[in-house]
Amino acid sequence: MTTRVAMRRPRFKLRPALLGGLLLALPLAMAAAKNVKPDPDGLPPHTVKDLQYGDVLFYFYQDDYFDSITRLLAAQQLERLPHTEGEAELLLGGLYLSLGEHVEAGKIFEALLAGKVSEAVRNKAWFYLGKVWYQRGYLEESERALRQVSDKIQPRISAERYMLLAQLKLREGRYDEAIAALQSWHGAPDWTAYAQFNLGVALVRKGRLPEAIRHLDRVGRIDSRDEELLSLRDKANLALGFAYLQAQRPAEARPILERVRLEGPFSSMALLGVGWADSSLGQFRRALVPWLALRKRSLLDSAVQEAYLTVPYAYNQLGASGQAAEYYVSAIDSFDAELKRIDASIEEIHSGDLLDRLLNDDKKDTLTWYWQLKTVPNAPESRYLYQLLARNEFQEGLKNYRELKFMSRNLKDWREDVNAYDDMLDTRQRAYSEELPKADAVMSATDLAALTQKRVDFESRINAIEKSNDVAALGTPDEQRTWARLKHIEEFVQMHPDDPDLAEMRDKVRLMKGVMYWRLSESFKARLWNERRSVKELEASLIETQKRAVQVQQARTGAPTNTGAFAARVASTRARMDDLQERLARLTDKQARYLEDLAVTELGRQKQRIETYQVQARFELAAIYDKTANKPDKAPAGKPKANP
Amino acid sequence: MKKDVIDLNKDLFVLEEELLFPANTQVAVYVSMDVGAFFALDSVTLKIDNKQVKNYLYTAREADALLKGGVQQLYLGNLKVGKHELVAFFTGKGPVERDYRRGATINFEKGVGAKYLELKISDKVAKHQPEFLIKDWE
Repeated sequence: MTTRVAMRRPRFKLRPALLGGLLLALPLAMAAAKNVKPDPDGLPPHTVKDLQYGDVLFYFYQDDYFDSITRLLAAQQLERLPHTEGEAELLLGGLYLSLGEHVEAGKIFEALLAGKVSEAVRNKAWFYLGKVWYQRGYLEESERALRQVSDKIQPRISAERYMLLAQLKLREGRYDEAIAALQSWHGAPDWTAYAQFNLGVALVRKGRLPEAIRHLDRVGRIDSRDEELLSLRDKANLALGFAYLQAQRPAEARPILERVRLEGPFSSMALLGVGWADSSLGQFRRALVPWLALRKRSLLDSAVQEAYLTVPYAYNQLGASGQAAEYYVSAIDSFDAELKRIDASIEEIHSGDLLDRLLNDDKKDTLTWYWQLKTVPNAPESRYLYQLLARNEFQEGLKNYRELKFMSRNLKDWREDVNAYDDMLDTRQRAYSEELPKADAVMSATDLAALTQKRVDFESRINAIEKSNDVAALGTPDEQRTWARLKHIEEFVQMHPDDPDLAEMRDKVRLMKGVMYWRLSESFKARLWNERRSVKELEASLIETQKRAVQVQQARTGAPTNTGAFAARVASTRARMDDLQERLARLTDKQARYLEDLAVTELGRQKQRIETYQVQARFELAAIYDKTANKPDKAPAGKPKANP
Repeated sequence: MKKDVIDLNKDLFVLEEELLFPANTQVAVYVSMDVGAFFALDSVTLKIDNKQVKNYLYTAREADALLKGGVQQLYLGNLKVGKHELVAFFTGKGPVERDYRRGATINFEKGVGAKYLELKISDKVAKHQPEFLIKDWE
């Protein structure tokens, strides 16, 4: 009697644990499935209002958040975002959020809401604030913020907001409210499947399976090529299948579980479930088909570990206690080997460089919103890390670690630049000292006042020439010489008015002077205009010279202060750099220890589970021996390989 | 902690710009794209006063960021106060996937403040052709 109860134990011990675990994990499935990054404006191409904001977006759209946030903060400090202030603040909040700086992000959104902003900005701020609170686990505050978002918002944000509200209720165990909210959901098609799935899970949690079936079944029949949706479809089928099993409806569970893709991440669980459905119907031979298939898979998978027990269980139910004993022995051996490997891996992790090996092949030059490690290095402990990587806690921690490393490298790069700035400032200072005496010599040799006076005199002379109509004054040197000679001859002739010998000369002088005057008069206006233009050009040159003199004077007095101010800034940043690098190193170490602890804990958990299965296998094996010993006339078909 | 690093980065970024490209000589050239149905950008070559200062090849990711509304700071340099000429050559794929190369020129006056110029690539829908303009941001 005792033996019979013990024989059935695996069935009762294993199934509820598995179902409970799966159903507990279900509501969180949606959050992991949709990675929605902060989106400043729904991303339509738009008119450039501030070049520098466009520059920030250029990096943002390439998922390079570190460059984006640096440029955004610099543009704000330099007051280069006059037309995009509100949008920039929103984006800044989102970027802080993506880097895990929730407090800073929260402050920004709250400040935005306290100021005068447009409804669109206000809505987005409430939305992101709600998201911040949700991620930090402040569900009440999150709900309050999300409820402030009006319906006049982009459909994409509206869908995410609605889903966040529903998830929030699920997390708080307010299933009835979550169900009510999700039942009235009419969102974008790509979100509808997630809504249906969450609704189905909430209904299962409330024990309303008949209603849940409709929703989970619909998601379980989605026709899509999108990997994310296909994965959700598998999840829905798995959830529905196990819900049927839990409700003691194995015949209905089987076809649903068979819909799960064989090559997908949920196939092992589905195979296990199909086996359980068959065995619940008393069809143990049929149950062996999926379980034996499962047994060939990697022992790392908990479903496979369970199959190491369910296969001999089925054989035992079929009366093949010899085969059952063989499989139990084999399970014990396999579990034993696995436990040794886990111990060796724990040692490896304690040795220290696990994280650097994990991130060895990672593209290190950017920080993004949704970075996740997808592949692990070829190392003994890697086989256990896939489970670890599936955990949000570890991925978040690893993302943090990676960011700290990135920042440390970034500061190292800056350090080289800052050293170059120091050299540059030294060179500037030296050049200044060398150039100063030369500049002073040029300045002292340049009498700007005298030059200005000369220009004034020149202009006065032109005015006088114009006023007196002194046409000869603007003649060419030859013309002026000729004019002077004619005047001289004229004066001579005038001094001898009665000399008859000079009569012919007098006439000639008059004629020649007339011709000369006519020539000079003809070109006088053009020449006067040219002179006036020269005066203007001279004036412009003088103004330019005065301006340059002022600049030289300013540079002369300003350069030492300027260079000194820069030197002070360089020194101050260097001190901050030293401090931060030290803090970063400490924090990186701390984070590394934390992640290693997580890894070791996970491995410990796996070890504990395997140990439990091993104990069960030993117990079942003992029971078989016990049963065989009580029936000496009927020996088991197969002999155990080792003593339990 | 991360915020402290980000703040320091910002300060270093500003310091670098003010030290190497002071406002009185600073010239920045940006590239923007609107729509882009008739042109897929491959590269831009920039000449200032007949001297090549930049030749930039775009990755698909960068071209995509431009199409989404990002604006790239293509060049940051120093120029003396006065008159200058900027010539930009754009190469890429034009309508019906044909190789396409076009230029745009602007004469501009560099004053005492920083000068910003924007190379704008947009679609001329009526002619089914891309359009290349240079805007002087006063």
